[in-house]
Amino acid sequence: MAGYVVRRLFGMIPMLFAITVFVFFMMHMAPGNAIEAMINPRIKDIAALKHQLEVQNGLNLPLPVQYWRWLVNVLHGNFGWSFGQHEPVIELLGPAMYNTLILAVLAEAFILLLGIPIGIWQARRPYSKLDYTVSTVSFVLFSVPFFVFAVFLIYFFAIRWPVFPAQNATGTGPLAGTLLDHVWHALLPAISIALTAHTVYSRYTRGAMLDVARQDYVRTARAKGIREPVIYRKHVFRNARIPLVTQLGFDLGGLLGGAVITEGLFSYQGMGYVTITAVSQRDYPVIMATTLIFAVCVLLGNLVADILNAVVDPRIRYQ
Amino acid sequence: MSEAVLSVRNLRTYFMYKDAEVHAVDGVDLDVRAGEIVCLVGESGCGKSMTSLSIMRLVPQPAGRIVSGKILLDGVDLLRLSEDEMTDVRGNQISMIFQEPMTALNPVLTVGDQITEVLLRHRRMRKREAWQRAVEMLEFVGVARAAQIVHEYPHQLSGGMRQRVMIAMAMVCEPKLLIADEPTTALDVTIQAQVLDLMRKMRDDFGTALILITHDLGVVAEMADRVVVMYAGQVVESTDADTLFEEPSHPYTRGLLRSIPSLSDDTETLYSIPGTVPDAAAFPEGCRFADRCPLAQPECLATAPVLREVRPGHWVRCHFADKGSVSV
Repeated sequence: MAGYVVRRLFGMIPMLFAITVFVFFMMHMAPGNAIEAMINPRIKDIAALKHQLEVQNGLNLPLPVQYWRWLVNVLHGNFGWSFGQHEPVIELLGPAMYNTLILAVLAEAFILLLGIPIGIWQARRPYSKLDYTVSTVSFVLFSVPFFVFAVFLIYFFAIRWPVFPAQNATGTGPLAGTLLDHVWHALLPAISIALTAHTVYSRYTRGAMLDVARQDYVRTARAKGIREPVIYRKHVFRNARIPLVTQLGFDLGGLLGGAVITEGLFSYQGMGYVTITAVSQRDYPVIMATTLIFAVCVLLGNLVADILNAVVDPRIRYQ
Repeated sequence: MSEAVLSVRNLRTYFMYKDAEVHAVDGVDLDVRAGEIVCLVGESGCGKSMTSLSIMRLVPQPAGRIVSGKILLDGVDLLRLSEDEMTDVRGNQISMIFQEPMTALNPVLTVGDQITEVLLRHRRMRKREAWQRAVEMLEFVGVARAAQIVHEYPHQLSGGMRQRVMIAMAMVCEPKLLIADEPTTALDVTIQAQVLDLMRKMRDDFGTALILITHDLGVVAEMADRVVVMYAGQVVESTDADTLFEEPSHPYTRGLLRSIPSLSDDTETLYSIPGTVPDAAAFPEGCRFADRCPLAQPECLATAPVLREVRPGHWVRCHFADKGSVSV
């Protein structure tokens, strides 16, 4: 298993290289550049200033050279300076990653805690009126654009009854900066993500449970006199969770990259928020760093999915 | 018939679909005495599996329903028990093993977990005791390295091994009755004989009665004390094994026996009963075998024969069973 993980980690390197190359050239092909986004267009002799700044930042060099410089720096642990925020990229992204981690874990927890029990509950009474009702509600929740929930949640729980903060990832006061304070700020965005995303899990869970419930070994369990709740908890769910665990790995990778729109709506300073700001300012070093981190998260998520699969399914063993 | 462990009386199991009502089991009577091996024979779709699932009260829901009848286990009517009481019976007083050992065991639970589960459910036993008993039981059914095998998963075992595990699991509470639904069909011929031997050993050592469902008359000849032949949801002939092979009285039984390939025979083609089983959603008024029967008379199409005792212990559902043996 350890050997397998190491091999997979090494296998990621060419993938990450390809992704960064692609993003780097795509980014520079977009119109405008960081300097234009930075300087005031009413300044006199704008062309000279622009040229001076470009030379300062190495933006006048050929793109392959620029990429090579970036790559060498990154391999030395230097992600460069943010053009937009005027601070090292690392210092900008550190807090953002922490905020996004809290939001991702919280959102995924809500998604699982809502989605899986609902799915199991439906699978125990398939094709009944209650089952159809819950399915319909799920489809509606899934179809509503998810930012709608964010807007409603902000309106009701942050403005009408100001229980929760409407924006920012941390607050002021004695608790500022503590884990509790972070969780408190992440609560509304997490709920707004989970309200939509949990339906994916309730559908998956219901389907997987019903699939497994038809299997011969479930009939065997019944023939042994095992009671229904135990049959569902032990014999059915332990098989039904195998495809869910795969989905979980993929999800975590995606969520850790930042929930762009949700973070934007809540002005929650996570990875998504930082990325959007950086893109609008053509802040190349930040864009490259967030892309790299996002790619790593997705690839690690896939690896975690494969590892979790082996944990819950004894038929899967990695050499 | 007084010492019958199991008495099934006039059992009817129907499947209700939107446009049809399928009479899978249509008035079956069946008696199994303690320590007896009864073979239930018939072609696919004749209702033998549904009869056994009805006895377990495991008919596929919601389409399937036991409509009427009695299933007496030591005098207790299983059809009158609540679902909860029935779970106390299953795996404890009646056990069942199935045709496909490859899919009948849960792939994510260890062999030991699946065996001890039965003991922990039906016996007051500590976990350690139950695991000990599981190992003993595996050794008893001839699994080598039993102490290791309990910790392994089904995919690590061969088909024959898995069927042994199934038998160990079914027998661990020493039930009064074991129902085996084509337990050897999916196995290699050499393994088949071993598994049949094992089931006979179970009967001898535990006194468990055995209902063996099969369409293999070779298995019947080797195992059966008594044979019950089913056709189109009904019992058509019921007698001891010797009589069945020497004096089969129902034309369907005779047809079945004629379909066995014989080494001494010179015929090029194998005999087969003409026609097919009638649709269980629309059985004919008269005898259900009439349109395939070489002896059918106008009477057969008009009135359905009843199951009659033509000789002591020999029951046949045919108008002409005792009117001289007409050769087919």
